[in-house]
Amino acid sequence: MSVTDERRKAAARPVPFGMRDRLRVPKERYYDREFFELEKEHLWPRVWQMACRLEEIPRPGDFVEYEICDQSVLVVRQPDGSVKAFHNACRHRATQLCKGSGRLPGGQIVCPFHGWRWNLDGTSSFVYGADGFAPECLRPDDIRLRECQVDTWGACAWINLDPDARPLREALAPAADVLDTVGVENMRVWWWKETILNANWKTAQEAFHEGYHVMATHPQLTSGLGEDYPYANTEYTAFENGHGRFQGRFDPSAGGVSQGRPAQAFLDRSRTLWEGQDAMTLERDLHVFRGMRNRVPPSEDFPTAAIKALSDYAQGAGIPFHPTPEGMRLWGGEVFLFPNFMVLPQFGNALSYRIRPHNDDPEWCRFEVWSLTMYPEGDEPGRAKLKGRFAPDDHENWGLIPRQDFSNIERMQRGLHSRSYEQHRLATEMEQIISNMHAELDRYLAG
Amino acid sequence: MTVEQAGRRGPVVHVDPVDAELELEPDETIIEAAWRLGYHWPTTCHGQATCTVCHVEVLSGAEHLVPPDDEERDALETRLPGAQRRDLTRIRLACRARATGDAVVRKKGVRPTQTVPIPPTGPL
Ligand code: FES
Ligand code: FES
Ligand SMILES: [Fe+2]
Repeated sequence: MSVTDERRKAAARPVPFGMRDRLRVPKERYYDREFFELEKEHLWPRVWQMACRLEEIPRPGDFVEYEICDQSVLVVRQPDGSVKAFHNACRHRATQLCKGSGRLPGGQIVCPFHGWRWNLDGTSSFVYGADGFAPECLRPDDIRLRECQVDTWGACAWINLDPDARPLREALAPAADVLDTVGVENMRVWWWKETILNANWKTAQEAFHEGYHVMATHPQLTSGLGEDYPYANTEYTAFENGHGRFQGRFDPSAGGVSQGRPAQAFLDRSRTLWEGQDAMTLERDLHVFRGMRNRVPPSEDFPTAAIKALSDYAQGAGIPFHPTPEGMRLWGGEVFLFPNFMVLPQFGNALSYRIRPHNDDPEWCRFEVWSLTMYPEGDEPGRAKLKGRFAPDDHENWGLIPRQDFSNIERMQRGLHSRSYEQHRLATEMEQIISNMHAELDRYLAG
Repeated sequence: MTVEQAGRRGPVVHVDPVDAELELEPDETIIEAAWRLGYHWPTTCHGQATCTVCHVEVLSGAEHLVPPDDEERDALETRLPGAQRRDLTRIRLACRARATGDAVVRKKGVRPTQTVPIPPTGPL
């Protein structure tokens, strides 16, 4: 059954531990096995999900295996540059055809068990010992690989296991349109790492759905203001389709989120962000900003001048960075795409997160982090590769900011099991992206 | 065969006895170049480094072939029939070997194909 707005009018199934209002989230949603199984049955097989970045499969014959719970899908670059997706199971005796990522030499998908083969478009190209099979077992339509829906947006391939799902852009609206204003299509991987967290996938991602935690979790980002650190200058929006956004309340005409900051404060914060995660603000940006240090008269706003310098630099270098007022409003904010993907843009860069259940366990998740940036045109980086899987407290591979976030996530999951605890109580405005996500999740589970 | 041939860009792997000249594109393996240029090359795993059916004997220019990685060495040592009796320093997998310069290899069963190497539809 397809997921359409009509279905939402009549809930066909009762949802255990359902959302009764937008202010509370029952704790069982984060660890209950039955709830997790409902997600496996009614959410993941029907929702559009980010399967890979397109830089992972730059050339014809490149493939990526995308795993979600017990399902595995192959995303394959076609000779004409388009992308197809196939269920990753041999039509003979079910063997998984490919694992991980890589190239399909000679444009052939080969089963390791008995050597059946398929072309990149999923048509059968070879059956070893075909004489040994009854003809009805080898009908070409029957043995071609089973396709699943795939489309591209934001420099990523997205898949949907539901053949009747509505189109990608309809499902991603309006969040994708919002992200188009910062040029996500032009962003490429600077680095890509992952960690395994002892927490439900929703627990993990919800640590990134508000800026309310910055005061206590990331004191180094509060300019020493402590509890005076302002929380009300962030605007939160719950979108339809379960998506959400938060962004600063500021005049986007000039210096972006930092407008009005004195030069040294702006440079210090930029350096803290770069050192703290090597994302959103990169060394290149810092270099350009520092070059402006003694060149801006005190009567002018330093961040405005620094960002102008960055955009001039990009233009000279052929970097497709074209800040727009709408896009600049998003800098330092976040766009969440239901159910499990996030983009946090800043300048020509962004952080991006994808969170999936891990090992078929509601209490574990796989958390991937991409630092994205824009490269000069014609100077695209090579194939994107995962740098590795690193422990959440690995000082070498995670900056201070993500380590601070990760440590809270696992502690939250522990606290959920406290016999004293029943439900999250959410801030009306500041935590609405969380409740909005859960409300959409219940629509999937109910219908 | 001369090294300095007019217009040549990539390394060339000469294949005996079919007498084929395969000019490799950057990052391309011997078997991929052969497929691209319309040759049939013996294989059952089609480039997964598992069947070893694609293996070649290197007659000269071994130093111009990128050294084998662990995957290739493991395949040759454990899956090549009669590996114990053979000089593995002269044997390479065509589906893994890339070249930085010219080389000559021997491989029986390589022949030009009449049709395109990848049929657009299945054989059935
Ligand atoms: S299971 Fe794939 S060919 Fe037999
Ligand atoms: S093609 Fe099978 S090992 Fe090379
Ligand atoms: Fe954080």
